Amino acid sequence: MLTKINVGPIHPSTHGVLRLVVTLDGDTIVNVEPHIGFLHRGVEKLVENRMYMQSESYMEKVDYAAPMAYSDLYVSAVEEAMGVHIKERAKYVRLILLELQRIASHLLWLGTFCNDLGQMFTMFMWTMKDRDLVMNLLQDATGSRMFYVNMRVGGVSMDLPPDFEEHAKSLLDYLEKRIKDYEAFLEKNPVFIERTKGVGVLSRKDAINLGVTGPVLRASGVNFDVRSAYTYYAYEKLNFMPQIQVKGDVFARYKVRILEMKESIRLIRDALKEMPEGDALGMPIKLISPPIKEKEVIVRRELPRGEGMMYMVTDKQKPYRLSIRAPAFINLSALNHMAQGAKYADLFAILGSLDLVMADVDR
Amino acid sequence: MLIDEGLASILANAILVLLLIIMFDYTFGWLERKTIAKAQFRHGPTYLGPFGFLQNIADVIKLIAKENIVPSNADKLIFSVLPPLFLSFFIFLVYLLPFSNSIGISLSLGLLAVFVLLSFSPLIVFLIGIASGNKFSAISAQRSVIMLLGYEIPLILSIAGVVLYAGSFNIATIVNDQRSAYFIFLMPIAFAVFFISMLAELERPPFDLREADSELIAGWLVDVGAPYYALALFVDYTRMFLGSLLISLLFLGGWLGPSILPPLIWLMIKAFVVAFIIVIIRATTVRMRLDKLLSFGWFWLLPLSVVSIILTFLLFVR
Repeated sequence: MLTKINVGPIHPSTHGVLRLVVTLDGDTIVNVEPHIGFLHRGVEKLVENRMYMQSESYMEKVDYAAPMAYSDLYVSAVEEAMGVHIKERAKYVRLILLELQRIASHLLWLGTFCNDLGQMFTMFMWTMKDRDLVMNLLQDATGSRMFYVNMRVGGVSMDLPPDFEEHAKSLLDYLEKRIKDYEAFLEKNPVFIERTKGVGVLSRKDAINLGVTGPVLRASGVNFDVRSAYTYYAYEKLNFMPQIQVKGDVFARYKVRILEMKESIRLIRDALKEMPEGDALGMPIKLISPPIKEKEVIVRRELPRGEGMMYMVTDKQKPYRLSIRAPAFINLSALNHMAQGAKYADLFAILGSLDLVMADVDR
Repeated sequence: MLIDEGLASILANAILVLLLIIMFDYTFGWLERKTIAKAQFRHGPTYLGPFGFLQNIADVIKLIAKENIVPSNADKLIFSVLPPLFLSFFIFLVYLLPFSNSIGISLSLGLLAVFVLLSFSPLIVFLIGIASGNKFSAISAQRSVIMLLGYEIPLILSIAGVVLYAGSFNIATIVNDQRSAYFIFLMPIAFAVFFISMLAELERPPFDLREADSELIAGWLVDVGAPYYALALFVDYTRMFLGSLLISLLFLGGWLGPSILPPLIWLMIKAFVVAFIIVIIRATTVRMRLDKLLSFGWFWLLPLSVVSIILTFLLFVR
């Protein structure tokens, strides 16, 4: 006999306001039907009524777990449209800040993922504490703690402070140690291994067909990372290596994110070493207006959750149309495929491994 | 009316045991909150009383002062009768245990009585879960009964060795038999099996499948109102008292210990240490899955408990 059960929109493990209608056969999942739209704010439409640089702070709220990545995506689209080149030092500054943001986002994910597996709030509090340190550093560099709004056309709003390098290095040493600890703490726990290995397998072929991106795609053995495939900023110069796992299960997705944090730490260290002297400041906001050169632009950036794409049709003062390819939205569409045949308890392990932010899904 | 001496001692015993239950429930509730908070870089309760010791009183008053809502889907009779009954059930079970040679009652079949009654507790959870008419509670109720198959048999078998060695179902006799060596040293395998099965019986992580906050919201407690939730907290803590008492009585020598402290204090110290270890396990491990728990029970716990019985028989009894 099939049971229909309604999970969410108010549920401890749906990461916000996701509603899942789950059909169960005993304890086995037959079908999962995500209902989304509870957090729809019409960001794409809002942008059409604002001048170019007024929308940056709207963009940050699309993904509140990694705001800077989205503001970078948006500002890159404006830059592309205006045909502005980014200053050499600003490329490094942006890379450092974005990778710090990625670490913060992955740390938050690690905490919530362990919550989903039933280790209520221990890992969450630990990673939140570390994430807070990263956010303090970002506050030093940008002026605000959570929503930075520090990307400007051609550069950033302020250069890195003089003591940034010293602070960043000590923080990175600390984070490296902590991440190693988390790895040992989780991977030596047989229950954790049992809950994650072989659960929610997404094969390489299915991963490509379903269009998932980011850590979910790389966990299925596909070597695709926008940072290397369509390289931008200084990733190529720093020899960025995409982190890949082949199994495609929940554990592989966990492992990819852990490895990505380590790779980010390495990237930041190298970037701090090789960063050129000079000016990193972008154009003042008031100067951002026509002449916009291109009519249609598409930019793609590797966000912490996957590949973010922004399509913009430009107009004189404001964008005529903006469309966002949100990585979490497309990753969520693979949930049904992964969850079919799994046990009910596994649904939350799989859902957690997708790293959803509902604001990103609903926009 | 005159109260004769036997009745007076029974009454004194009863009141003492009730005080012990209240003391443990309260202190453990505070200790658990503080320990978990420490493990998570938090402070836990701090405002009321020294180290927030009075916070639980405030919480219980708040919960009991609220309206008790019985959902319209629920089977009203079962749903409103069973939670208080569940609490009294566990208090009754604690009354079946001896606390030292003079405190508590010492029944000749005490151990058997405790475990026979204890195996009813998943069924009560099942009834409350089904009666509340919520689907999450229903899943929790199913899990409760399925789990019973996984851990109940190893639980009983692991104490069979203890009974074989002591030659009695009387818990006082079992404790006094440990004067030379505690059973944890004589039968470590049985202790491990018993401890793990007891975690499942006590609904503690990694086996808290019935409550499973991240999956089933609160399992069989999803639809209970605030006063019954307070009762459920007492059920949890009293059950914890029963479990840690059983572990320390059967394997850790109960009230035995150097005579600097009275026997009752030794028993309580051991019970608190066991409870503390269980809390630490709660703070660190993720939850197990139902089918894995079943296979773990049948392929590991059951054979291990049988091996333990055979070893006990060959080494000590024969």
